[in-house]
Amino acid sequence: MIRRSVCWMLAKHSFFSAVSNRPVQLLMGLILLLLLYANISSYTQYCQQITTRNYYRELVRNHWEEMPDKHPHRMAHYGYIAFRSIDPLSLFDRGIDTYAGNAIFLEAHKQNTVNFSEAGLSTGLLRFGEITQSMVLQLLVPLLLFFIGFGAIAADRENGTLKMLFSQGTSWKELLLGKCLGLWLLAMVFLLVGMFLLVGTSLSIPELEMNTDWWIRSIGLLLLYSVYFWIIAAIATWVSAISKSARLALVSLIGIWLLMGIILPRAIQSGASWVFPAPSKIHFDSMVEQELIKKGDSHDPNDPYYKALKDSVLRAHNVSSIEELPFNYSGFQMKEGERISTELYNQQMAVLQDIYKKQNNLSRLAGWVNPFLPIRLCSMSFSGTDFSSYTRFQTEAENYRYRLAQQMNDWQIQYISNKKPAPGEKGPAISRDFWKAFPAFTYPSTNWKQGLQEAGYSLLMLIAWFLFSVWLLIFRSQKLNAL
Amino acid sequence: MWKLCIKNFVRTSVAQVGISAVLLAGIISLLIGRQHLVKQQEAVKQTTIAQNEHIKRNKEFFSSELGLLFYYLKFSLVNELDPINGLSIGQRDVNPSIQSVTIRNLENQRYDTDLYNPVVLHAGNLDLSFVLLYLFPLLIIASCYSVWSADQEAGTWNMTRVQARKPAVLLWKSLVIRMGFVFSVFFVLIGLAFVLLPLSINYRFLLFVGTGIAYLLFWFGLCAFIISFNKNSSTNAILLLGCWILLAIILPAGVNNYLTNRYPVPEALSTMVEQREAYHEKWDMEKTPTLKAFYKVYPDYEKYGYPQESFSWLWYYAMQHMGDEESKAHTESFMSKLAKREAVARSISLFIPTLHTQHQFNTLAKAGLENHLLFLKETANFHESVRKKVYPLIFENKQVEEVDWQALEVRTVEQNNQPDWLPVFLPFLVFILGLFGVSWKRMHSMA
Repeated sequence: MIRRSVCWMLAKHSFFSAVSNRPVQLLMGLILLLLLYANISSYTQYCQQITTRNYYRELVRNHWEEMPDKHPHRMAHYGYIAFRSIDPLSLFDRGIDTYAGNAIFLEAHKQNTVNFSEAGLSTGLLRFGEITQSMVLQLLVPLLLFFIGFGAIAADRENGTLKMLFSQGTSWKELLLGKCLGLWLLAMVFLLVGMFLLVGTSLSIPELEMNTDWWIRSIGLLLLYSVYFWIIAAIATWVSAISKSARLALVSLIGIWLLMGIILPRAIQSGASWVFPAPSKIHFDSMVEQELIKKGDSHDPNDPYYKALKDSVLRAHNVSSIEELPFNYSGFQMKEGERISTELYNQQMAVLQDIYKKQNNLSRLAGWVNPFLPIRLCSMSFSGTDFSSYTRFQTEAENYRYRLAQQMNDWQIQYISNKKPAPGEKGPAISRDFWKAFPAFTYPSTNWKQGLQEAGYSLLMLIAWFLFSVWLLIFRSQKLNAL
Repeated sequence: MWKLCIKNFVRTSVAQVGISAVLLAGIISLLIGRQHLVKQQEAVKQTTIAQNEHIKRNKEFFSSELGLLFYYLKFSLVNELDPINGLSIGQRDVNPSIQSVTIRNLENQRYDTDLYNPVVLHAGNLDLSFVLLYLFPLLIIASCYSVWSADQEAGTWNMTRVQARKPAVLLWKSLVIRMGFVFSVFFVLIGLAFVLLPLSINYRFLLFVGTGIAYLLFWFGLCAFIISFNKNSSTNAILLLGCWILLAIILPAGVNNYLTNRYPVPEALSTMVEQREAYHEKWDMEKTPTLKAFYKVYPDYEKYGYPQESFSWLWYYAMQHMGDEESKAHTESFMSKLAKREAVARSISLFIPTLHTQHQFNTLAKAGLENHLLFLKETANFHESVRKKVYPLIFENKQVEEVDWQALEVRTVEQNNQPDWLPVFLPFLVFILGLFGVSWKRMHSMA
């Protein structure tokens, strides 16, 4: 039997006694200031990046459409520049955005790397981390809860109030739930202020569209963090209840925070890349190249694969030389070459991505023992700044590159003559009207369904931790000692 | 007396658990550092092999036309790897240590990154510099926070005090014993580093060790300072931990946010767009102005004249190079922006020991932004040197046999300037002397 009124009274009491404490006020003020700083800083960075990116995105498109009449293969080499879009919720959680490349040059025959990540342009300072709302909520608010909560039960036990409470008929369950609720309410103050700031900041950026999806994901984040703070409050209460002294409770909680919040996440990810080593670029490139040579080298005029291809084409059209073919043969050969090289590249890329996923999954698994981890992954997924959002951009950009190259090859096959121009004659070209017909690079931003799907497993862990914490407080409390 | 103090310390759980945890983390960090070095060295080895094979195969296909052959050929430049990089990985996991370039336009190639898992980068490396920067201070805090207060809380201080001639000396003895243990752990790890990594004792390495010692001394100074206020253990612990959170988490992250906002680099994108436009527009222009502009940069080549046929390699490579020339303003402002970021970070770090230490570690490991900028600059020089070797051969329609391939082998950039030791130690010295001085005075007047 749990009396709600008793829980509520205990919660209110522990909330207000914490808030009226001077050092706690100071720390709360500091954290609120940091939340404000995080928002201002994210706002500035978001505005800078969105303005620059929109400007260059438009410029690239205009340049593309303004290109004069050209040979389609020239256009295939002129290529396109794709910019990664920034999720509006990166204002809240920057996730891996800082480490992800921002722009990629897309051209025929060649898969370039996504360059200019903020990390690549940063001093080593970056590796200490960044101040974002999510960082403050994930790391600093729990620390504050631990600082306030260590004495929740242990101090009462030390000064004898605990016995008095029990003699008045309060049960362990009520006590633990009440104290935990009080701590949770305190954390919710920061969460609500943070969300309020997020909405305000987002409203003040005209380029930022706050659509239904944005609201669903934001409310999702609110719920996720509410659950997370409950888990943290429960840990603080529980450790305080089982510790012999308040000081011991404090030491244990700080130990938990350091280990789970700072050291383990880094150690496990480092360990994961140790267990599943990924190839370097040189290694990767030469693997792709070797596969390509095995299949057939379109550069080699005597390559058996392309020789056979040519012979079969000539035979099918019943002609003896390329010049007699009704379409542009070199375009045809390039189309085949592009198809093969892209296929092989994508195969190797899939292997590489698989290694990365294995690394990430191993560290994700650690969420079963580390309650600080699941929220990080869930938060990134809901904010559209996780690994999958990045690989989605990479895949979309590569698909666009392939479409662009093959479109140009198709136009070459169709409209360019097989005959070489005579000396002094102008080279073959097609009308610039074609360029406009090829659409700009766009890709859909992360929606809440994808966020939910990506968070999936971590979300499960978060819920498991929540249920575990409730079970701990309600059903394990009988074993506790009042003295 | 010494013996007793040592025994007392060794018996505490902090000493046993803390020291073994830090030792374990340190050993893991060294193994991670070794894996990093091995991976990089493998890549360097493979680069030479891959380049030779690549040249050999392409020579078979395109030997009749040097212009076409060099269109495909890639030449690699390696950013020298210092074994200290195994102790402090720094930015070497974000930035590539090998750059392969063709003689086509540079700006389109020189910012190419390595392949990496952004999630791993985001989590950060567990290298020795992390153990030193984050974990050692925690060990120091855990072993020192109650040096004075524990005795007082246990009621033994008054007894000890009357027995000692100078009670404050007793406190210093306790601190010195803790230093002894912490430094032993430090030197054991440095010793192990010698076994696990191909390190050699040189000026840079000694500076690295010196920086580590100075950083640890700073934390002992901070502990002594807090202890000297003679507060209870819990307050000491919270104050010291507050310092740690401020110095290791909040301040560095705050400074980084500030730098990113204060010095944005839109030039990265403008360079990328500009060089592409400048090169491609030349295809639709008269050939003479392009060649004229090219000869203005390289007057030696003017003797090759102004060929007007629909395609010539001379004109092609002139177009390529003009892409670089015409985007030069963007590139320069890009580079100076990055240099500015680095310079401001360095100035700020003088006042924050954690930042200063990390900056020094990265500099000594040749793994900071400064080193990366040097590599970018050297990539440009390397690119030009290859072009200058190859241009005349292409423009004069030489045969493949006339190319001096030895001159085009993989090259390595070395950063040989030795950092001055004074600016490294001066900020530490000020902090250490200040903290120890004040606490000495306070303890002697109060104990």
